[in-house]
Amino acid sequence: MSTTVAILPPARLGQRMRLSTLPRQLLGAAAVAAMVAGWWVIAATGMVRADLLPSPLDVWDALVEVTRDGYRGTTLWGNALSTLERLLSGFGLATLVGVPLGLWMGSNRVTHAAVDWIIQFMRPLPPLSYMILLILWLGTGDLSKSALLFLTAFPIIVASAAAGVRGVKQQRIQVALALGASRAQVFRHVIMPSAAPMVFTGLQIALAAAFSTVVSAELLAATDGLGWMVISASTFLRNDIIILCILILGALGFILASLLRATDRRLIHWRGRDS
Amino acid sequence: MRTLPSWVITLLSMAVVLAIWIGITSGGLVRDLFLPGPLDLWDGFMELVQDGYKGRPLLEHVGMSLFRVIAGFLTGAAAGTLLGLGMGYSPRINALAAPFIEFLRPLPQLAYLVLLIIWLGIGETSKVTMLFLAALPVSAIAARDGVANVPPERVSVALALGASRWQVFRYVIIPSALPEILVGARLAAGIVYGTLIAAEIIAGSNGIGWMILDAGRFLRSDYVFAGIGMIGITGILIDRLLLLIERRVVHWAGR
Repeated sequence: MSTTVAILPPARLGQRMRLSTLPRQLLGAAAVAAMVAGWWVIAATGMVRADLLPSPLDVWDALVEVTRDGYRGTTLWGNALSTLERLLSGFGLATLVGVPLGLWMGSNRVTHAAVDWIIQFMRPLPPLSYMILLILWLGTGDLSKSALLFLTAFPIIVASAAAGVRGVKQQRIQVALALGASRAQVFRHVIMPSAAPMVFTGLQIALAAAFSTVVSAELLAATDGLGWMVISASTFLRNDIIILCILILGALGFILASLLRATDRRLIHWRGRDS
Repeated sequence: MRTLPSWVITLLSMAVVLAIWIGITSGGLVRDLFLPGPLDLWDGFMELVQDGYKGRPLLEHVGMSLFRVIAGFLTGAAAGTLLGLGMGYSPRINALAAPFIEFLRPLPQLAYLVLLIIWLGIGETSKVTMLFLAALPVSAIAARDGVANVPPERVSVALALGASRWQVFRYVIIPSALPEILVGARLAAGIVYGTLIAAEIIAGSNGIGWMILDAGRFLRSDYVFAGIGMIGITGILIDRLLLLIERRVVHWAGR
Protein backbone atom coordinates (compact mmCIF):
# COMPACT_ATOMS: atom_id res chain seq x y z
CA MET A 1 0.00 0.00 0.00
CA SER A 2 1.37 3.36 -0.91
CA THR A 3 1.26 6.00 1.73
CA THR A 4 -0.86 9.04 1.29
CA VAL A 5 1.01 12.13 0.25
CA ALA A 6 -0.11 15.67 0.59
CA ILE A 7 -0.94 16.71 -2.92
CA LEU A 8 -1.64 20.29 -2.04
CA PRO A 9 1.23 22.68 -2.58
CA PRO A 10 3.01 23.87 0.59
CA ALA A 11 1.46 27.36 0.52
CA ARG A 12 -2.02 25.90 0.86
CA LEU A 13 -1.01 23.46 3.52
CA GLY A 14 0.39 26.35 5.53
CA GLN A 15 -3.07 27.72 6.20
CA ARG A 16 -3.98 24.52 7.94
CA MET A 17 -0.91 24.25 10.09
CA ARG A 18 -2.68 24.14 13.42
CA LEU A 19 -4.45 20.85 12.90
CA SER A 20 -1.80 19.26 10.74
CA THR A 21 0.85 19.77 13.42
CA LEU A 22 -0.84 16.96 15.32
CA PRO A 23 1.08 13.81 14.45
CA ARG A 24 -0.88 11.40 12.27
CA GLN A 25 -0.84 8.55 14.77
CA LEU A 26 -2.23 10.83 17.44
CA LEU A 27 -5.09 11.82 15.16
CA GLY A 28 -5.86 8.17 14.45
CA ALA A 29 -5.72 7.30 18.13
CA ALA A 30 -8.00 10.24 18.88
CA ALA A 31 -10.53 8.97 16.34
CA VAL A 32 -10.49 5.51 17.90
CA ALA A 33 -10.78 6.99 21.38
CA ALA A 34 -13.70 9.16 20.25
CA MET A 35 -15.47 6.12 18.87
CA VAL A 36 -14.97 4.08 22.03
CA ALA A 37 -16.19 7.05 24.07
CA GLY A 38 -19.26 7.41 21.85
CA TRP A 39 -19.95 3.69 22.20
CA TRP A 40 -19.60 4.01 25.95
CA VAL A 41 -21.99 6.97 26.16
CA ILE A 42 -24.63 5.24 24.03
CA ALA A 43 -24.37 2.08 26.13
CA ALA A 44 -24.19 3.87 29.50
CA THR A 45 -27.17 6.19 28.93
CA GLY A 46 -29.34 3.20 28.13
CA MET A 47 -30.29 4.50 24.68
CA VAL A 48 -29.84 0.94 23.46
CA ARG A 49 -30.72 -2.13 25.48
CA ALA A 50 -27.68 -3.45 27.30
CA ASP A 51 -28.06 -6.98 25.97
CA LEU A 52 -28.04 -5.62 22.41
CA LEU A 53 -25.11 -3.26 22.81
CA PRO A 54 -22.85 -4.05 25.74
CA SER A 55 -20.57 -1.22 26.88
CA PRO A 56 -16.80 -1.38 26.35
CA LEU A 57 -16.50 -2.26 30.04
CA ASP A 58 -18.81 -5.25 29.57
CA VAL A 59 -16.63 -6.45 26.71
CA TRP A 60 -13.57 -6.08 28.92
CA ASP A 61 -15.34 -8.04 31.65
CA ALA A 62 -16.19 -10.70 29.08
CA LEU A 63 -12.51 -10.93 28.16
CA VAL A 64 -11.54 -11.33 31.83
CA GLU A 65 -14.31 -13.88 32.38
CA VAL A 66 -13.45 -15.92 29.29
CA THR A 67 -9.71 -15.94 29.99
CA ARG A 68 -10.32 -16.95 33.61
CA ASP A 69 -13.20 -19.43 33.35
CA GLY A 70 -13.14 -20.33 29.67
CA TYR A 71 -16.21 -20.41 27.47
CA ARG A 72 -18.56 -23.39 27.69
CA GLY A 73 -15.78 -25.83 28.45
CA THR A 74 -13.31 -24.34 25.99
CA THR A 75 -10.68 -21.70 26.51
CA LEU A 76 -10.31 -18.55 24.46
CA TRP A 77 -6.76 -19.44 23.51
CA GLY A 78 -7.78 -22.97 22.64
CA ASN A 79 -10.42 -21.64 20.28
CA ALA A 80 -8.06 -19.12 18.72
CA LEU A 81 -5.52 -21.90 18.29
CA SER A 82 -8.02 -24.22 16.60
CA THR A 83 -8.88 -21.49 14.13
CA LEU A 84 -5.21 -20.79 13.44
CA GLU A 85 -4.42 -24.49 13.14
CA ARG A 86 -7.13 -25.03 10.52
CA LEU A 87 -6.11 -21.90 8.68
CA LEU A 88 -2.44 -22.77 8.59
CA SER A 89 -2.90 -26.44 7.72
CA GLY A 90 -5.08 -25.62 4.70
CA PHE A 91 -3.04 -22.62 3.65
CA GLY A 92 0.28 -24.39 4.25
CA LEU A 93 -0.68 -27.38 2.14
CA ALA A 94 -2.00 -25.11 -0.61
CA THR A 95 1.34 -23.26 -0.58
CA LEU A 96 3.37 -26.47 -0.69
CA VAL A 97 1.39 -27.84 -3.64
CA GLY A 98 0.30 -24.63 -5.33
CA VAL A 99 3.59 -22.79 -5.68
CA PRO A 100 5.45 -25.65 -7.45
CA LEU A 101 2.42 -26.36 -9.65
CA GLY A 102 2.10 -22.67 -10.53
CA LEU A 103 5.79 -22.39 -11.35
CA TRP A 104 5.55 -25.50 -13.48
CA MET A 105 2.46 -24.19 -15.26
CA GLY A 106 4.22 -20.92 -15.90
CA SER A 107 7.22 -22.53 -17.50
CA ASN A 108 5.54 -25.38 -19.34
CA ARG A 109 2.96 -24.64 -22.03
CA VAL A 110 1.46 -28.13 -22.01
CA THR A 111 0.86 -28.16 -18.26
CA HIS A 112 -0.60 -24.69 -18.46
CA ALA A 113 -3.02 -25.69 -21.20
CA ALA A 114 -4.05 -28.84 -19.35
CA VAL A 115 -4.58 -27.34 -15.88
CA ASP A 116 -5.36 -23.66 -16.30
CA TRP A 117 -9.05 -24.11 -17.12
CA ILE A 118 -9.58 -25.94 -13.82
CA ILE A 119 -7.90 -23.14 -11.89
CA GLN A 120 -9.83 -20.47 -13.78
CA PHE A 121 -13.07 -22.31 -13.06
CA MET A 122 -12.34 -22.64 -9.34
CA ARG A 123 -11.05 -19.15 -8.73
CA PRO A 124 -14.31 -17.17 -8.90
CA LEU A 125 -16.30 -19.79 -6.95
CA PRO A 126 -17.17 -18.64 -3.43
CA PRO A 127 -15.60 -21.33 -1.21
CA LEU A 128 -18.65 -21.72 1.00
CA SER A 129 -20.62 -22.88 -2.03
CA TYR A 130 -18.69 -26.14 -2.22
CA MET A 131 -18.37 -26.47 1.56
CA ILE A 132 -21.66 -28.40 1.47
CA LEU A 133 -20.20 -30.92 -0.95
CA LEU A 134 -17.07 -31.29 1.15
CA ILE A 135 -19.18 -31.95 4.24
CA LEU A 136 -21.14 -34.51 2.25
CA TRP A 137 -17.95 -36.21 1.11
CA LEU A 138 -15.63 -35.85 4.07
CA GLY A 139 -17.92 -35.38 7.06
CA THR A 140 -18.25 -32.40 9.38
CA GLY A 141 -14.85 -32.90 10.99
CA ASP A 142 -11.60 -31.05 10.52
CA LEU A 143 -10.83 -32.86 7.28
CA SER A 144 -13.59 -31.09 5.34
CA LYS A 145 -12.55 -27.74 6.78
CA SER A 146 -8.88 -28.23 5.92
CA ALA A 147 -9.92 -29.30 2.42
CA LEU A 148 -12.09 -26.19 2.13
CA LEU A 149 -9.24 -23.90 3.12
CA PHE A 150 -6.88 -25.74 0.80
CA LEU A 151 -9.31 -25.23 -2.08
CA THR A 152 -9.79 -21.57 -1.14
CA ALA A 153 -6.09 -20.76 -1.21
CA PHE A 154 -4.94 -23.16 -3.91
CA PRO A 155 -6.28 -21.52 -7.12
CA ILE A 156 -5.17 -18.06 -6.00
CA ILE A 157 -1.64 -19.29 -5.27
CA VAL A 158 -1.35 -21.32 -8.47
CA ALA A 159 -2.67 -18.54 -10.69
CA SER A 160 -0.34 -15.91 -9.25
CA ALA A 161 2.73 -18.17 -9.39
CA ALA A 162 1.98 -19.07 -13.01
CA ALA A 163 1.39 -15.42 -13.91
CA GLY A 164 4.65 -14.53 -12.17
CA VAL A 165 6.66 -16.95 -14.29
CA ARG A 166 4.88 -16.03 -17.51
CA GLY A 167 5.59 -12.37 -16.83
CA VAL A 168 9.38 -12.87 -16.76
CA LYS A 169 10.95 -10.91 -19.58
CA GLN A 170 12.02 -13.22 -22.39
CA GLN A 171 15.20 -11.23 -23.03
CA ARG A 172 16.46 -12.03 -19.55
CA ILE A 173 16.03 -15.74 -20.10
CA GLN A 174 17.62 -15.55 -23.52
CA VAL A 175 20.58 -13.54 -22.25
CA ALA A 176 21.17 -16.06 -19.48
CA LEU A 177 20.93 -18.95 -21.93
CA ALA A 178 23.22 -17.19 -24.41
CA LEU A 179 25.77 -16.69 -21.64
CA GLY A 180 25.80 -20.44 -21.15
CA ALA A 181 23.43 -20.93 -18.20
CA SER A 182 21.81 -24.33 -17.93
CA ARG A 183 18.00 -24.65 -17.79
CA ALA A 184 18.20 -25.31 -14.06
CA GLN A 185 20.39 -22.25 -13.56
CA VAL A 186 18.00 -20.09 -15.55
CA PHE A 187 15.12 -21.33 -13.43
CA ARG A 188 16.96 -20.82 -10.16
CA HIS A 189 18.67 -17.50 -10.87
CA VAL A 190 16.46 -15.78 -13.44
CA ILE A 191 12.91 -17.06 -13.30
CA MET A 192 12.59 -17.57 -9.53
CA PRO A 193 13.72 -14.08 -8.49
CA SER A 194 11.60 -12.42 -11.17
CA ALA A 195 8.50 -14.40 -10.26
CA ALA A 196 8.90 -14.22 -6.48
CA PRO A 197 7.11 -10.88 -5.97
CA MET A 198 4.00 -12.19 -7.74
CA VAL A 199 4.17 -15.45 -5.80
CA PHE A 200 4.22 -13.55 -2.52
CA THR A 201 1.39 -11.24 -3.55
CA GLY A 202 -0.63 -14.37 -4.29
CA LEU A 203 0.19 -15.84 -0.88
CA GLN A 204 -1.00 -12.67 0.84
CA ILE A 205 -4.30 -12.61 -1.04
CA ALA A 206 -4.77 -16.34 -0.44
CA LEU A 207 -4.19 -16.03 3.30
CA ALA A 208 -6.72 -13.20 3.58
CA ALA A 209 -9.28 -15.26 1.66
CA ALA A 210 -8.60 -18.36 3.76
CA PHE A 211 -8.94 -16.36 6.98
CA SER A 212 -12.36 -15.13 5.94
CA THR A 213 -13.36 -18.63 4.88
CA VAL A 214 -12.21 -20.39 8.05
CA VAL A 215 -14.47 -18.21 10.17
CA SER A 216 -17.45 -18.80 7.87
CA ALA A 217 -16.82 -22.53 7.94
CA GLU A 218 -16.66 -22.50 11.73
CA LEU A 219 -19.93 -20.58 11.87
CA LEU A 220 -21.53 -23.25 9.72
CA ALA A 221 -20.15 -26.45 11.17
CA ALA A 222 -17.67 -26.65 14.02
CA THR A 223 -17.40 -27.48 17.69
CA ASP A 224 -14.56 -25.11 18.47
CA GLY A 225 -12.72 -22.12 17.02
CA LEU A 226 -13.41 -18.40 17.15
CA GLY A 227 -16.14 -18.64 14.50
CA TRP A 228 -17.89 -21.30 16.55
CA MET A 229 -17.59 -19.07 19.61
CA VAL A 230 -19.35 -16.25 17.75
CA ILE A 231 -22.26 -18.40 16.61
CA SER A 232 -22.53 -20.14 19.97
CA ALA A 233 -22.53 -16.82 21.84
CA SER A 234 -25.22 -15.53 19.49
CA THR A 235 -27.60 -18.32 20.46
CA PHE A 236 -27.26 -17.18 24.09
CA LEU A 237 -27.46 -13.49 23.13
CA ARG A 238 -24.03 -12.94 24.67
CA ASN A 239 -23.28 -9.90 22.55
CA ASP A 240 -20.33 -9.00 24.77
CA ILE A 241 -18.63 -12.23 23.76
CA ILE A 242 -19.52 -11.73 20.08
CA ILE A 243 -17.96 -8.26 20.09
CA LEU A 244 -14.94 -9.60 21.95
CA CYS A 245 -14.49 -12.30 19.30
CA ILE A 246 -14.89 -9.78 16.47
CA LEU A 247 -12.19 -7.59 18.03
CA ILE A 248 -9.89 -10.60 18.44
CA LEU A 249 -10.55 -11.69 14.85
CA GLY A 250 -9.81 -8.18 13.61
CA ALA A 251 -6.54 -8.12 15.54
CA LEU A 252 -5.65 -11.60 14.32
CA GLY A 253 -6.34 -10.68 10.69
CA PHE A 254 -4.26 -7.57 11.06
CA ILE A 255 -1.35 -9.48 12.66
CA LEU A 256 -1.41 -12.20 9.98
CA ALA A 257 -1.43 -9.65 7.17
CA SER A 258 1.39 -7.64 8.79
CA LEU A 259 3.48 -10.78 9.32
CA LEU A 260 3.24 -11.73 5.65
CA ARG A 261 3.93 -8.14 4.60
CA ALA A 262 7.03 -8.05 6.79
CA THR A 263 8.24 -11.40 5.43
CA ASP A 264 7.62 -10.10 1.94
CA ARG A 265 9.73 -7.01 2.57
CA ARG A 266 12.54 -9.12 4.05
CA LEU A 267 12.61 -11.82 1.41
CA ILE A 268 11.67 -9.86 -1.69
CA HIS A 269 13.72 -6.77 -1.00
CA TRP A 270 14.01 -6.16 -4.74
CA ARG A 271 10.26 -5.70 -5.19
CA GLY A 272 9.38 -2.64 -7.19
CA ARG A 273 12.94 -2.09 -8.34
CA ASP A 274 12.47 -4.41 -11.23
CA SER A 275 12.39 -3.02 -14.73
CA MET B 1 2.13 -33.28 -27.08
CA ARG B 2 4.61 -30.50 -27.58
CA THR B 3 3.51 -29.77 -31.12
CA LEU B 4 -0.22 -29.62 -30.35
CA PRO B 5 -1.80 -26.16 -30.07
CA SER B 6 -2.70 -25.14 -26.52
CA TRP B 7 -6.45 -25.19 -27.06
CA VAL B 8 -6.29 -28.81 -28.24
CA ILE B 9 -4.47 -29.76 -25.05
CA THR B 10 -7.08 -27.93 -23.00
CA LEU B 11 -9.87 -29.77 -24.80
CA LEU B 12 -8.06 -33.08 -24.31
CA SER B 13 -7.67 -32.36 -20.62
CA MET B 14 -11.38 -31.51 -20.36
CA ALA B 15 -12.24 -34.74 -22.15
CA VAL B 16 -10.11 -36.75 -19.72
CA VAL B 17 -11.81 -35.16 -16.72
CA LEU B 18 -15.24 -35.77 -18.26
CA ALA B 19 -14.32 -39.41 -19.01
CA ILE B 20 -13.18 -40.01 -15.44
CA TRP B 21 -16.36 -38.35 -14.17
CA ILE B 22 -18.57 -40.55 -16.35
CA GLY B 23 -16.46 -43.59 -15.53
CA ILE B 24 -16.72 -43.35 -11.75
CA THR B 25 -20.38 -42.35 -11.72
CA SER B 26 -21.78 -44.84 -14.22
CA GLY B 27 -19.53 -47.65 -12.98
CA GLY B 28 -21.23 -47.32 -9.61
CA LEU B 29 -17.92 -46.53 -7.90
CA VAL B 30 -19.46 -43.47 -6.29
CA ARG B 31 -23.09 -43.29 -5.24
CA ASP B 32 -25.01 -40.57 -7.01
CA LEU B 33 -25.87 -39.13 -3.62
CA PHE B 34 -22.29 -37.95 -3.48
CA LEU B 35 -21.47 -37.26 -7.09
CA PRO B 36 -24.13 -37.13 -9.81
CA GLY B 37 -23.16 -38.14 -13.33
CA PRO B 38 -23.12 -35.46 -16.04
CA LEU B 39 -26.53 -36.56 -17.33
CA ASP B 40 -28.12 -36.60 -13.87
CA LEU B 41 -26.67 -33.17 -13.32
CA TRP B 42 -28.22 -31.89 -16.55
CA ASP B 43 -31.59 -33.44 -15.63
CA GLY B 44 -31.41 -31.85 -12.20
CA PHE B 45 -30.62 -28.50 -13.73
CA MET B 46 -33.54 -28.73 -16.17
CA GLU B 47 -35.82 -29.66 -13.29
CA LEU B 48 -34.71 -26.58 -11.42
CA VAL B 49 -35.27 -24.40 -14.47
CA GLN B 50 -38.75 -25.80 -15.10
CA ASP B 51 -40.11 -26.35 -11.61
CA GLY B 52 -38.04 -24.01 -9.51
CA TYR B 53 -36.91 -24.91 -6.01
CA LYS B 54 -39.24 -25.22 -3.01
CA GLY B 55 -42.13 -23.41 -4.64
CA ARG B 56 -40.14 -20.52 -6.02
CA PRO B 57 -38.90 -20.29 -9.58
CA LEU B 58 -35.15 -20.56 -10.02
CA LEU B 59 -34.94 -17.05 -11.42
CA GLU B 60 -36.46 -15.70 -8.23
CA HIS B 61 -33.66 -17.26 -6.16
CA VAL B 62 -31.03 -15.89 -8.51
CA GLY B 63 -32.83 -12.54 -8.56
CA MET B 64 -32.92 -12.31 -4.76
CA SER B 65 -29.19 -12.96 -4.59
CA LEU B 66 -28.46 -10.44 -7.33
CA PHE B 67 -30.63 -7.80 -5.68
CA ARG B 68 -28.67 -8.15 -2.43
CA VAL B 69 -25.33 -8.04 -4.23
CA ILE B 70 -26.26 -4.96 -6.23
CA ALA B 71 -27.73 -3.09 -3.26
CA GLY B 72 -24.76 -3.84 -1.00
CA PHE B 73 -22.16 -3.30 -3.68
CA LEU B 74 -23.51 0.00 -5.02
CA THR B 75 -23.94 1.60 -1.60
CA GLY B 76 -20.67 0.23 -0.22
CA ALA B 77 -18.58 1.08 -3.26
CA ALA B 78 -20.09 4.58 -3.53
CA ALA B 79 -19.53 5.37 0.14
CA GLY B 80 -16.09 3.77 0.12
CA THR B 81 -15.00 5.69 -2.96
CA LEU B 82 -16.15 9.02 -1.52
CA LEU B 83 -14.39 8.28 1.75
CA GLY B 84 -11.27 7.13 -0.09
CA LEU B 85 -11.18 10.27 -2.23
CA GLY B 86 -11.34 12.31 0.93
CA MET B 87 -8.65 10.18 2.54
CA GLY B 88 -6.37 10.60 -0.46
CA TYR B 89 -7.04 14.32 -0.67
CA SER B 90 -6.55 15.18 2.96
CA PRO B 91 -4.02 13.52 5.25
CA ARG B 92 -6.22 14.50 8.19
CA ILE B 93 -9.23 12.56 6.93
CA ASN B 94 -6.89 9.70 6.20
CA ALA B 95 -5.48 9.71 9.72
CA LEU B 96 -9.00 9.79 11.16
CA ALA B 97 -10.50 7.04 9.01
CA ALA B 98 -7.54 4.72 8.42
CA PRO B 99 -7.71 2.83 11.75
CA PHE B 100 -11.33 1.82 11.10
CA ILE B 101 -10.76 0.92 7.47
CA GLU B 102 -7.66 -1.13 8.29
CA PHE B 103 -9.56 -2.91 11.05
CA LEU B 104 -12.57 -3.66 8.88
CA ARG B 105 -10.66 -4.86 5.85
CA PRO B 106 -9.17 -8.15 7.08
CA LEU B 107 -12.14 -8.86 9.36
CA PRO B 108 -14.13 -11.92 8.23
CA GLN B 109 -17.47 -10.46 7.17
CA LEU B 110 -19.50 -13.37 8.47
CA ALA B 111 -18.28 -12.69 12.01
CA TYR B 112 -20.09 -9.38 12.16
CA LEU B 113 -23.08 -10.71 10.25
CA VAL B 114 -24.08 -12.51 13.45
CA LEU B 115 -24.11 -9.20 15.33
CA LEU B 116 -25.97 -7.45 12.51
CA ILE B 117 -28.64 -10.15 12.56
CA ILE B 118 -29.16 -9.63 16.28
CA TRP B 119 -29.41 -5.88 15.76
CA LEU B 120 -31.31 -5.64 12.50
CA GLY B 121 -33.16 -8.92 12.23
CA ILE B 122 -32.65 -11.79 9.84
CA GLY B 123 -34.16 -10.01 6.81
CA GLU B 124 -32.61 -8.04 3.99
CA THR B 125 -31.31 -5.13 6.09
CA SER B 126 -28.71 -7.17 7.95
CA LYS B 127 -27.45 -8.84 4.77
CA VAL B 128 -27.24 -5.65 2.74
CA THR B 129 -25.54 -3.86 5.65
CA MET B 130 -22.95 -6.62 5.82
CA LEU B 131 -22.31 -6.36 2.07
CA PHE B 132 -22.05 -2.58 2.43
CA LEU B 133 -19.39 -3.08 5.11
CA ALA B 134 -17.63 -5.67 2.94
CA ALA B 135 -17.37 -3.34 -0.07
CA LEU B 136 -16.54 -0.17 1.88
CA PRO B 137 -12.90 -0.73 2.94
CA VAL B 138 -11.83 -2.22 -0.39
CA SER B 139 -13.23 0.71 -2.36
CA ALA B 140 -11.93 3.25 0.12
CA ILE B 141 -8.37 1.96 -0.06
CA ALA B 142 -8.45 1.78 -3.87
CA ALA B 143 -9.70 5.36 -4.12
CA ARG B 144 -7.20 6.60 -1.54
CA ASP B 145 -4.28 5.00 -3.35
CA GLY B 146 -5.63 6.25 -6.66
CA VAL B 147 -5.56 9.83 -5.40
CA ALA B 148 -2.21 9.37 -3.68
CA ASN B 149 -0.67 8.15 -6.93
CA VAL B 150 -1.72 11.21 -8.93
CA PRO B 151 1.53 12.83 -10.06
CA PRO B 152 1.94 16.02 -7.97
CA GLU B 153 3.18 17.90 -11.06
CA ARG B 154 -0.25 17.58 -12.63
CA VAL B 155 -1.87 19.18 -9.62
CA SER B 156 0.76 21.91 -9.43
CA VAL B 157 0.42 22.72 -13.12
CA ALA B 158 -3.35 22.97 -12.88
CA LEU B 159 -3.10 25.22 -9.82
CA ALA B 160 -0.43 27.34 -11.49
CA LEU B 161 -2.72 27.79 -14.48
CA GLY B 162 -5.34 29.19 -12.15
CA ALA B 163 -7.61 26.22 -11.52
CA SER B 164 -9.68 26.33 -8.36
CA ARG B 165 -9.40 23.51 -5.84
CA TRP B 166 -12.73 22.14 -6.99
CA GLN B 167 -11.58 22.25 -10.61
CA VAL B 168 -8.37 20.45 -9.71
CA PHE B 169 -10.39 17.79 -7.95
CA ARG B 170 -12.91 17.42 -10.76
CA TYR B 171 -10.62 17.64 -13.79
CA VAL B 172 -7.25 16.40 -12.55
CA ILE B 173 -7.59 14.13 -9.54
CA ILE B 174 -10.78 12.24 -10.43
CA PRO B 175 -9.70 11.27 -13.97
CA SER B 176 -6.24 10.24 -12.76
CA ALA B 177 -7.61 8.15 -9.92
CA LEU B 178 -10.53 6.61 -11.80
CA PRO B 179 -8.68 3.56 -13.17
CA GLU B 180 -7.66 2.46 -9.67
CA ILE B 181 -11.13 3.22 -8.31
CA LEU B 182 -12.70 0.94 -10.91
CA VAL B 183 -10.20 -1.85 -10.28
CA GLY B 184 -11.10 -1.55 -6.61
CA ALA B 185 -14.79 -1.71 -7.49
CA ARG B 186 -14.26 -4.95 -9.35
CA LEU B 187 -12.36 -6.41 -6.41
CA ALA B 188 -15.12 -5.27 -4.06
CA ALA B 189 -17.80 -6.87 -6.25
CA GLY B 190 -16.02 -10.23 -6.07
CA ILE B 191 -15.75 -10.01 -2.29
CA VAL B 192 -19.38 -8.93 -1.94
CA TYR B 193 -20.57 -11.81 -4.10
CA GLY B 194 -18.58 -14.44 -2.22
CA THR B 195 -19.68 -13.00 1.11
CA LEU B 196 -23.33 -13.01 0.09
CA ILE B 197 -23.25 -16.68 -0.86
CA ALA B 198 -21.72 -17.47 2.52
CA ALA B 199 -24.33 -15.32 4.26
CA GLU B 200 -27.20 -17.02 2.47
CA ILE B 201 -25.78 -20.38 3.44
CA ILE B 202 -25.51 -19.45 7.09
CA ALA B 203 -28.63 -17.32 7.51
CA GLY B 204 -30.88 -17.35 4.49
CA SER B 205 -34.34 -18.47 3.61
CA ASN B 206 -34.07 -17.86 -0.12
CA GLY B 207 -31.44 -17.02 -2.69
CA ILE B 208 -29.07 -19.23 -4.57
CA GLY B 209 -26.70 -19.80 -1.63
CA TRP B 210 -29.55 -20.95 0.57
CA MET B 211 -30.74 -23.22 -2.22
CA ILE B 212 -27.57 -25.27 -2.31
CA LEU B 213 -27.46 -25.57 1.47
CA ASP B 214 -31.04 -26.77 1.55
CA ALA B 215 -30.48 -29.17 -1.35
CA GLY B 216 -27.43 -30.52 0.48
CA ARG B 217 -29.57 -31.28 3.52
CA PHE B 218 -31.79 -33.45 1.35
CA LEU B 219 -28.76 -35.04 -0.30
CA ARG B 220 -29.82 -33.68 -3.70
CA SER B 221 -26.27 -33.43 -4.93
CA ASP B 222 -27.44 -32.80 -8.49
CA TYR B 223 -29.10 -29.57 -7.29
CA VAL B 224 -26.01 -28.71 -5.27
CA PHE B 225 -23.78 -29.11 -8.31
CA ALA B 226 -26.16 -27.19 -10.54
CA GLY B 227 -26.31 -24.43 -7.94
CA ILE B 228 -22.52 -24.24 -7.65
CA GLY B 229 -22.30 -24.05 -11.43
CA MET B 230 -24.77 -21.18 -11.52
CA ILE B 231 -22.98 -19.37 -8.72
CA GLY B 232 -19.71 -19.67 -10.64
CA ILE B 233 -21.22 -18.45 -13.91
CA THR B 234 -23.05 -15.54 -12.26
CA GLY B 235 -19.84 -14.52 -10.51
CA ILE B 236 -17.91 -14.55 -13.77
CA LEU B 237 -20.65 -12.56 -15.52
CA ILE B 238 -20.61 -9.88 -12.83
CA ASP B 239 -16.84 -9.62 -13.13
CA ARG B 240 -16.92 -9.43 -16.95
CA LEU B 241 -19.64 -6.79 -16.89
CA LEU B 242 -17.59 -4.61 -14.56
CA LEU B 243 -14.50 -5.17 -16.70
CA LEU B 244 -16.47 -4.02 -19.73
CA ILE B 245 -17.62 -0.88 -17.93
CA GLU B 246 -14.06 -0.30 -16.76
CA ARG B 247 -12.71 -0.47 -20.31
CA ARG B 248 -15.44 1.84 -21.60
CA VAL B 249 -15.15 4.45 -18.87
CA VAL B 250 -11.38 4.59 -18.48
CA HIS B 251 -10.31 4.01 -22.05
CA TRP B 252 -7.25 6.11 -21.25
CA ALA B 253 -5.97 3.72 -18.56
CA GLY B 254 -2.37 2.67 -19.03
CA ARG B 255 -1.64 5.68 -21.23
